[in-house]
Amino acid sequence: MRGLRLISFIMTRLLQAIPVVLGVVVLNFLLLQLAPGDAATVLAGEAGGAPPEYVEQLRARFGLDKPVLVQLGLYLKNILLLDLGFSFRNNAPVLGLILDRLWPTLLLMGATLIVSVGGGVMLGVIAALGVRTWRDHLISIAAVIAYATPLFWIGLMLILAFSIRLDWFPTSGMEDVVAFHEGWARVVDIAHHLVLPTITLSLFYLALYTRLMRATVLEQRGAEYATTARAKGLTERAITLRHVLRNALLPVITMAGVQVGALLGGSVVVETVFAWPGLGQLAYQSLFARDFNLLLGIFFLSACLVVVVNIIVDVIYVLLDPRIRVGGKA
Amino acid sequence: MRLVRSLALVAGLGLTVISLAGVPALAQKRGGTLVQITQPEPPTLGSYVSTANPVGQVASKIYDGLLEYDFDLKPLPSLAESWTVSEDGKTVTFKLRQGVKFHDGKPFTSADVQFTFMEVLKKVHPRGINTFAEVTAVETPDPQTAIFRLNRPAPYMMAALSGYESPILPKHVFSQGDIRTHQNANSPVGTGPFKFVEWRRGEFVRLDRNADYWKPGLPYLDRIVVRFIGDTGTRAAALEKGEAHIAGFGAVPYNDVKKLEKLPNIQIVTKGYEMLSPVVELMFNTKKAPFDNAKVRQAISYAIDRKFVIDNIWFGFGKPTNGPISSNFAPTGLYSADVTNYNVPDGVERANKLLDEAGFPRKADGIRFEITHDITPYGEEWRRFGEYTQQALARIGIKANLRYEDVATWLKRIYTDYDYDVSSNHLFNLADPVLGVHRAFHSRFIRPGTVFVNGVRWSSPRTDELMDRATIEPDAKKRAELYAEVQKIVVAEAPLAWTHEISFATVLDKRYRDVIVSPLGLFSSFDRAWRE
Repeated sequence: MRGLRLISFIMTRLLQAIPVVLGVVVLNFLLLQLAPGDAATVLAGEAGGAPPEYVEQLRARFGLDKPVLVQLGLYLKNILLLDLGFSFRNNAPVLGLILDRLWPTLLLMGATLIVSVGGGVMLGVIAALGVRTWRDHLISIAAVIAYATPLFWIGLMLILAFSIRLDWFPTSGMEDVVAFHEGWARVVDIAHHLVLPTITLSLFYLALYTRLMRATVLEQRGAEYATTARAKGLTERAITLRHVLRNALLPVITMAGVQVGALLGGSVVVETVFAWPGLGQLAYQSLFARDFNLLLGIFFLSACLVVVVNIIVDVIYVLLDPRIRVGGKA
Repeated sequence: MRLVRSLALVAGLGLTVISLAGVPALAQKRGGTLVQITQPEPPTLGSYVSTANPVGQVASKIYDGLLEYDFDLKPLPSLAESWTVSEDGKTVTFKLRQGVKFHDGKPFTSADVQFTFMEVLKKVHPRGINTFAEVTAVETPDPQTAIFRLNRPAPYMMAALSGYESPILPKHVFSQGDIRTHQNANSPVGTGPFKFVEWRRGEFVRLDRNADYWKPGLPYLDRIVVRFIGDTGTRAAALEKGEAHIAGFGAVPYNDVKKLEKLPNIQIVTKGYEMLSPVVELMFNTKKAPFDNAKVRQAISYAIDRKFVIDNIWFGFGKPTNGPISSNFAPTGLYSADVTNYNVPDGVERANKLLDEAGFPRKADGIRFEITHDITPYGEEWRRFGEYTQQALARIGIKANLRYEDVATWLKRIYTDYDYDVSSNHLFNLADPVLGVHRAFHSRFIRPGTVFVNGVRWSSPRTDELMDRATIEPDAKKRAELYAEVQKIVVAEAPLAWTHEISFATVLDKRYRDVIVSPLGLFSSFDRAWRE
């Protein structure tokens, strides 16, 4: 019964998401029209100039010579057919370009989520358990520093320290392009390249979750159910781990859902510093190149991803807290 | 037919070429991977449809041209073994090399040359449309001969036949389908020393040694990997650590170049840009007051302290100049120093005097008039150059407000809307003034919507005529005279203020030798590069 309810809940949410995503597409399309200059100008500019016949050729080929509303209509039609179009600048279909970048993005995102949520929850609990001891102070101060330091600076400092001085990690990239390892050696090589970008990207959220977790654990420990548990004679440690932790996790999960959306776009800096081939860099480059087909494709995918993650977060709520019901009348 | 040049195939060509470049006979070794940093990532590898800088840095290893060039810009044989130009300059005959194979194993013949020039470069290459405009037909009497028929003589064409500028494509691959969106753009097939293997977007392009390359024993390297690293600091770190071995064209900013220069494993090379020759210019909107007044433009040119700009903004990587044609053309005679010299110690006084004469006296607050200066959106040094210009103009009583926009917006403002007062840019001279210089001030190039052309909208019947004559003048000495007059007039009129020639700095790992051996530098094939 509960399983069925869950499925129908997910289906309803997915259906509701369609107009939301379409709205995002239209809004993005219209917003991008406000940017001056077009892809043909940029291409010709990068080429160090080109005859006008050539630029006109480009405009006609890109469909830029048509009225904006016609362009929008064509784009919507294609999106509904799940055709993301062609990136003329990259001379390749948009979908392929995005999929190429998807797995490095997901890899970095996944590693970052695990480190920041895992680490944040752990440190937050440790700090809360030893509130106002040296452990708590140390963790809290470190969290504030990590929270306040700009990402690109952390990235460059990590490269300077761990790559150039200590020679523990490579400076950048996703794998060793001189050796081109294969099989397990490649997996190890990619993991090796993943360390510094993951640390850099994790620090901010790690700090955030640590503070959030510490605060909610402290709050929950004052709740009535905790007092009851204490009356049963349970140790503070057992109360925290068995009863408080579950409840305290809810706000962190909410934040993590938001973080996923931010990670897609917000990792531009880290991707750039570590030359990580992710979607953030692709979006950034396509904006400056006015490659709107590609940019809209990325926006579309991000919108879909955010919708899906929100549904997943809702489902996780139910699993963590059975009192929360899915599907309508709660 | 007058025989202009006919070079026979020499056995052991590799050795001959090396002695030509005057490189000491070190023992070259086979093997090794060269990691090149190219910034930004190229949008495509089709160098026949895009002349964007990063495209050329990659594709030049894959495609050969009919010719190569030495540092004096003299042509050398490549896919063409020899060539003759007829007396009237309207017929050019190329004898093609035998036994050359494309990367897919198919032989290279005159049909490929005909296809490349007539069907591709003349139609879709951004510069080729102009360069080969005079070519009416390419005849192929036999597989080893290609005869170019020209409407009018086009001496500049002979400077535009490198593998970078005019890559020779396999007809059997590229004649299928639309050339503009051809699928093989990004999996290129050429005759060059390196074969395309893989392009992982956002990461690298991998090129492996072409074991069947037509130059015996070459290339020496096993592989070239071109990496894309978005952050300047990381690029410098990768070079410092030896993870990457070469980067040029400003991929490493000058202040980092100065730091890297001190490391024992790195050298800085400024050769290898002779066929590009960027010249920095201040652009004036000459259709708009007060810049329609030549005296105002001359005054601003006098106000720029070239030495200060080079030393403090370009870290010494540059050379002061006054005119549009780079001194790299001195060996060909096309460069003339007989022009107005704006680079004088009393420049500021002269400028103030000119502005007084032009009818712009200083007002009570010491300001003559106020303008907006659009900074070139190409990075740090351009930003500083904009700030310097603001200060220099303040010294002569012109208040300049700075505006900074992204590339697309700036291009539209300068070359489409002409909605600006003063801006700056740098145009490449390329291999010949017809290709790189005319566009800046010939009336034919006042074309809204076309970038990097005559955005100042200045021209004169006399300079137009001189340039038109130089375009078709086959005699080198007469051409030089025509250009000398062009330079004299245009520098005096100052529709643009040319300030300095930029020297790009290539950062190179010392373990790699014979990498920069041509005036095209990073745009050449690296076939003789080797690792110690």
